[in-house]
Amino acid sequence: MSSDRALLEVRNLTVDYVGDNSIARAVNGIDFDIREGEAFGLAGESGCGKSTVAFALARLTRLPGLVSGGSVRFGGEEVLQFEKARLKAYRWREVSFVFQSAMNALNPVIPVSEQIMDVIETHNPELGEKGARARAVEMFELVGIPPQRLDDFPHQFSGGMRQRICIAIALALNPRLIIMDEPTTALDVVVQRDIIEQIVELKSRLGFSVLFITHDLGLMIEFCDRIGVMYSGELVEVAPASSILTNPQHPYTRALGSSFPPLSGPRQRLEGIAGSPPDLRALPQGCRFSPRCPHAMAVCTQTAPELRFYPEHESEAACHLLN
Amino acid sequence: MIFLLRRLAFYIGAFFLAVTFNFFIPRLMPGDPSARIIASFQGRLNESQVEAIRKSYGFTGSLWEQYVTYVGSIMRLDFGISTVQFPEPTASLLFYAATWTLVLVGLAIFFAFTIGSFMGIHAAWHRGGFFDSFFTPINVMLNAFTPAIVALLLFYAFSLQLQWFPLGRAHSTSIMPSFSFEFIGNVLYHATLPVLSIFLVSFGGWHLGMRNVMINLLNEDFVILAKAKGLSDRRVRYRYVARNAILPQITALALSIGFLLGGALVTEQVFNYPGLGKFTFTAIGSRDYSFIQGQLLLLTASVLVANLLSDIANVILDPRLRT
Repeated sequence: MSSDRALLEVRNLTVDYVGDNSIARAVNGIDFDIREGEAFGLAGESGCGKSTVAFALARLTRLPGLVSGGSVRFGGEEVLQFEKARLKAYRWREVSFVFQSAMNALNPVIPVSEQIMDVIETHNPELGEKGARARAVEMFELVGIPPQRLDDFPHQFSGGMRQRICIAIALALNPRLIIMDEPTTALDVVVQRDIIEQIVELKSRLGFSVLFITHDLGLMIEFCDRIGVMYSGELVEVAPASSILTNPQHPYTRALGSSFPPLSGPRQRLEGIAGSPPDLRALPQGCRFSPRCPHAMAVCTQTAPELRFYPEHESEAACHLLN
Repeated sequence: MIFLLRRLAFYIGAFFLAVTFNFFIPRLMPGDPSARIIASFQGRLNESQVEAIRKSYGFTGSLWEQYVTYVGSIMRLDFGISTVQFPEPTASLLFYAATWTLVLVGLAIFFAFTIGSFMGIHAAWHRGGFFDSFFTPINVMLNAFTPAIVALLLFYAFSLQLQWFPLGRAHSTSIMPSFSFEFIGNVLYHATLPVLSIFLVSFGGWHLGMRNVMINLLNEDFVILAKAKGLSDRRVRYRYVARNAILPQITALALSIGFLLGGALVTEQVFNYPGLGKFTFTAIGSRDYSFIQGQLLLLTASVLVANLLSDIANVILDPRLRT
């Protein structure tokens, strides 16, 4: 369902966290595209920079975080150079967010109607209050929440309903890209399944692109078209979802895949990945994964590999083993 | 509603406990207030006159009878007769003084709370900026001053030296109390310095409280989401952050009322202002038992009423408390 036209092009994006006497490079020059209508997944363990990337794309990075280099082009326009007014329109009209915790994503003291209507009224003032309300009702129906509950407060909804409301808010302006930062992590598996199915259905109906971030590799493979695997602030592999587990190129991807138990077949001992991710303030020389990599060679500890396209696998990977 | 009724029942219970303490404490002391009056007549009273005085102060009959009489008179707002300004009823003195304290403390709390809170909102929003780095330490320092010093300094500078403001009283003796602009203006003119001295030592607390709660809230998902929605800064600041930050402030406001009534004692003394503090100070010096007792009850009642009002305000402002 995705076309080949890139909606979002990220080039050499670098984000630092600035401390008093140290700088931690949380995202180190990553490149990827999100195509129109595509669901692109970002996978990786905690602290690898997935959410930092997501925030940088919407220009939501706040101190001590700092986008220190690279470019983010959205529909051909340079996002990192938007001035205030353009940025306000870019936010939500073109890119919207669904956060991990539906519990905290809604303001607890004002009714949800206000929280969906304010974004509509801000961006489409010509609709007026009536028009905004009509649109809010439409959105609630779209995600399957009875519109008569529009004026209820967040605490009166269950976790799953709250996440649906967040999705309704994200869809309110018909954006071209929705960034979903672990949208189902706080929910139980049954509700999780409902929500994901709903997102899939809405996506095919409305045609938006999704940047999907989660720890749940299984869910991601099911939902996404392509997946980027991050390790310690770098993209180590970008591959079609269908082949990322069956034909992984990078040793880290392979290790990540074998950390998940198979649902069928005989029970096996899970491998896991020995060691832990490096401290961003004291990185190893060369490839960042080399200290934990079972196949590390001499070159790996000297020069960092670059992300390259390997047509025979239809995937990009950054590893000396492939050369 | 049930929440408020439960609170109301608690406050009524607390008030009766205070009434009971207030009844027993003077009776546990050696002698009784009427003895002082009787002693002042230096033995020129006969038996029936002594009995009449004792009776007018409620010291006849069994303890239980005395208690019932006492509670009954409290219900009728009869606080007995002042032992010092004999035979003035305590209640009329108390209400006269309370009116002026209410003017003083009411104005001071109003200005301290609103100005302090707005400064806190501004400081938190631009934290680390000039306003924050300049005013936050200064306001905290002012907050650490005792009311006595500030009141004396203001009195010395503006009343004694510059003579911009009057030396005392709530209004000029040449104007009769009425609801005219002239009289109200005169009252405000007399109240300026005492209000300013309470304001100066208390607004820093509201500034700091609001600032800290705001800064904590700035990291909440719903605030980041509000920014990502492209809403105006004003809307995010007031409707999403300050709207939540005000809740603990309201509770703190109720708690501060008792403290401020106590603090007004010094201020009223310095500016010779005819409020509760000044009257209480005089009453303690002259052992005006019934006034002290009445003042204690009034203080208890006002703290309880302030708490009830804050409960009501919280129910109105926080939908999570309405069930």
